[in-house]
Amino acid sequence: MAINLASKKILVVEDQAIMRETIKHILGSFGARFIIEAESGINAITAMRIDRFDIVLCDYNLLRGKNGQQVLEEARHLKLLPVNAIFIMVTCEQSQEMVLTAIDNKPDDYLIKPFNRQQLLNRIERCYARKKYMASIENEIDSGNLYLAIHNCEQLLQRDDKKMRLQLLKIHAELTLKVGDFKTAEEIYQDILHERELPWARLGLGVVAFFLGYYDQAVKTFQELIEQHPVMLETYDWLVKAHESMGNDEHAVSSLNSAVALSPMSILRQKKLALLADKTENFAVAKKAYAATIKLGKNSIHGSSADYSGLANVHLKNNAANEALKILYELNQQSHNDPEAKLRAALLETEIHQTKGNKALAQQAYGKVFKLNEQFNKQISRELRLEMAKTFYLNGNGEICDEILNDLIKTNIDDKLFIKDIVTMCNAIIGENHAETLIQHIKKELVDINNKGVSLFQEGNIKAALAIFEKAIAKMPDNQTIILNMIKIIIHDIKTSKPGPEKIMSAQSYINKAVQIGIPHNQISGLQIELDTIQHKTNP
Amino acid sequence: MTNTHILSIGFPAILASSVHDIKNSLTALRALLSQLENVYRDPKPTEFRQLEFETNRMNNCLMQLLTLYKIDLSQFSLTIDEHSVADILEDVVAQQSTLLSLGNIQLITECHDELFCYCDNALISNALCTLVNNAQRYCLSKVVLSVVQEDDYIVFCIEDDGKGYPENLISSDYKQLPQIDLANGNTGLGLFFTETIAQLHIKGDKRGFIMTDNNSQFGGARFKLYLP
Repeated sequence: MAINLASKKILVVEDQAIMRETIKHILGSFGARFIIEAESGINAITAMRIDRFDIVLCDYNLLRGKNGQQVLEEARHLKLLPVNAIFIMVTCEQSQEMVLTAIDNKPDDYLIKPFNRQQLLNRIERCYARKKYMASIENEIDSGNLYLAIHNCEQLLQRDDKKMRLQLLKIHAELTLKVGDFKTAEEIYQDILHERELPWARLGLGVVAFFLGYYDQAVKTFQELIEQHPVMLETYDWLVKAHESMGNDEHAVSSLNSAVALSPMSILRQKKLALLADKTENFAVAKKAYAATIKLGKNSIHGSSADYSGLANVHLKNNAANEALKILYELNQQSHNDPEAKLRAALLETEIHQTKGNKALAQQAYGKVFKLNEQFNKQISRELRLEMAKTFYLNGNGEICDEILNDLIKTNIDDKLFIKDIVTMCNAIIGENHAETLIQHIKKELVDINNKGVSLFQEGNIKAALAIFEKAIAKMPDNQTIILNMIKIIIHDIKTSKPGPEKIMSAQSYINKAVQIGIPHNQISGLQIELDTIQHKTNP
Repeated sequence: MTNTHILSIGFPAILASSVHDIKNSLTALRALLSQLENVYRDPKPTEFRQLEFETNRMNNCLMQLLTLYKIDLSQFSLTIDEHSVADILEDVVAQQSTLLSLGNIQLITECHDELFCYCDNALISNALCTLVNNAQRYCLSKVVLSVVQEDDYIVFCIEDDGKGYPENLISSDYKQLPQIDLANGNTGLGLFFTETIAQLHIKGDKRGFIMTDNNSQFGGARFKLYLP
């Protein structure tokens, strides 16, 4: 029965020498030969850069630097863990699991200290058995083929294996939610709840209501769930989203504050709280949350220069320019080799000097912004680019401002929330209708490209139509209409000419992209079925 | 005046941090014990068995203390899911495996492979471990852990061949709790804990409960945990 660990590469992350020794001894007694030890998070990441591990056993409470959760997040973010690897988090108590639950990064399993030889082996064996069982689903999720993942999940469900049934149903529901098939997700959750009141299924129903836009109902579900399960943090995250979508930012701040009190080590929650509190002018809360984010960010992949400028801006809003200067100094210490950080620092410097009335110094800092923008402008995040547009306008450089705005609108035309941010900024700084005019102009341009492509297609000039859409996608990679039309044309092309594997792959990758940018299920599922049928015919 | 210091940190944080430290010490202690054990050939000195039993008990007590404290603060909720009963029993056997290997006690488990139970498995296996750990201490030669379905309940049953429970720990009527006299230094904490978490398992109008008597088929104590 015992699993043979001889062929497995194992990483043990643990700060206590005696524990590392014992774990190594246990693993060795099960045949493990390749065991690497790391006594800190940094060393663990370095080890994962060198070797691809099959098993990582990681203590949560590492004495210095990164904790276990931060190691996991960084490893996943940098794709240092193979899809079939298992990551087991070692914790001190069961309830830690709940509090640790990050917004989207869970280990494969937890192991509670102290554990003996048999307990460790059981945990590894069960993890492996589960991974193996779920491999056909996880591999497809990993490559972005969500529809195929759903298909494989349904196949496994047909085996009627009682031990795996609920786990499969949970994944099935989550996947259908991801592709926007809310009806199926709702049915799955309802069926489960009919059998037993399980909190995750109840949460799922709330999430379905949220996506369908029934925000009142979603909020009610989440609130009732929190009353019964006060430490289920995912519920708070959804409640916050629902409040935000309803425009109740104040409520969102207060819900998020409760979640942060329960999980102060979660950087993403702290960061979100900082932004929301800042937006709603709860400056005391914002300051505290920004400071916590900066502190956690020092050991986390989610740390960002934006946290520093966020905090400094709160100080500026509260007329504490000297406090802001201190933060700027800290940011400058951290900003080597990071163009985004350098830009933020220069922007911040400009604003601080403007606030303090130092015109010459402000002008000098603005010079830095100008130079850095020329150098890096496409490599930086859209939020920062929007801030830059504002700074350029305020310094009399309307032309560069519009250039940035045009580019931002073009690439984000389907992202309503971000477009709203652009409009809000323009209305406040530049004037009414400025953003609207730009948006109308770009929409018209889009319609023209689309019409041209479609009419070429209708004339039967498939090649030219494909070329037009390809060019448009290169310019606007996230535009929904263009991607949908592209998929339709490729599928038509496959049906009318010879269906080569390259064309099928290209169609599939655009479908995956369409799912990823949130095109609704009812617009994609038909295309996926068509493609599946073609594929089935070519290799039956 | 004296407790302003404590107030500024907060008792929950102090408790959590103490538990964390004690757990690390316990883990290190057990690691050292197992290294020391390897020095001896079989049969190993009987003191090892006693040490294993005591560290198990310290660990169980700590977990129970923390859970009960959180229940008291209303900062606690179960993590209910459907679990294979065979897996839960396997966890209990694994946890007890070191202790078993050091003595002549047999731990026998009996359950149907296709038996499933809605419960917080970590808590339930922790409770069962505590009770089995104690049963190992009081039995003569064997402990039997069996699970069956009885109407709407999954019933976990622990039986041994020892002298049985003392009078004050027996209650065959689940409505009447065992008279656990914690104030007088009695050892019923494990039973009290199990009863407390059993009651948190609810389905419709049914709650979990426990029963204790001396009607073991092997002549000793019998404990039953009912989960709806």
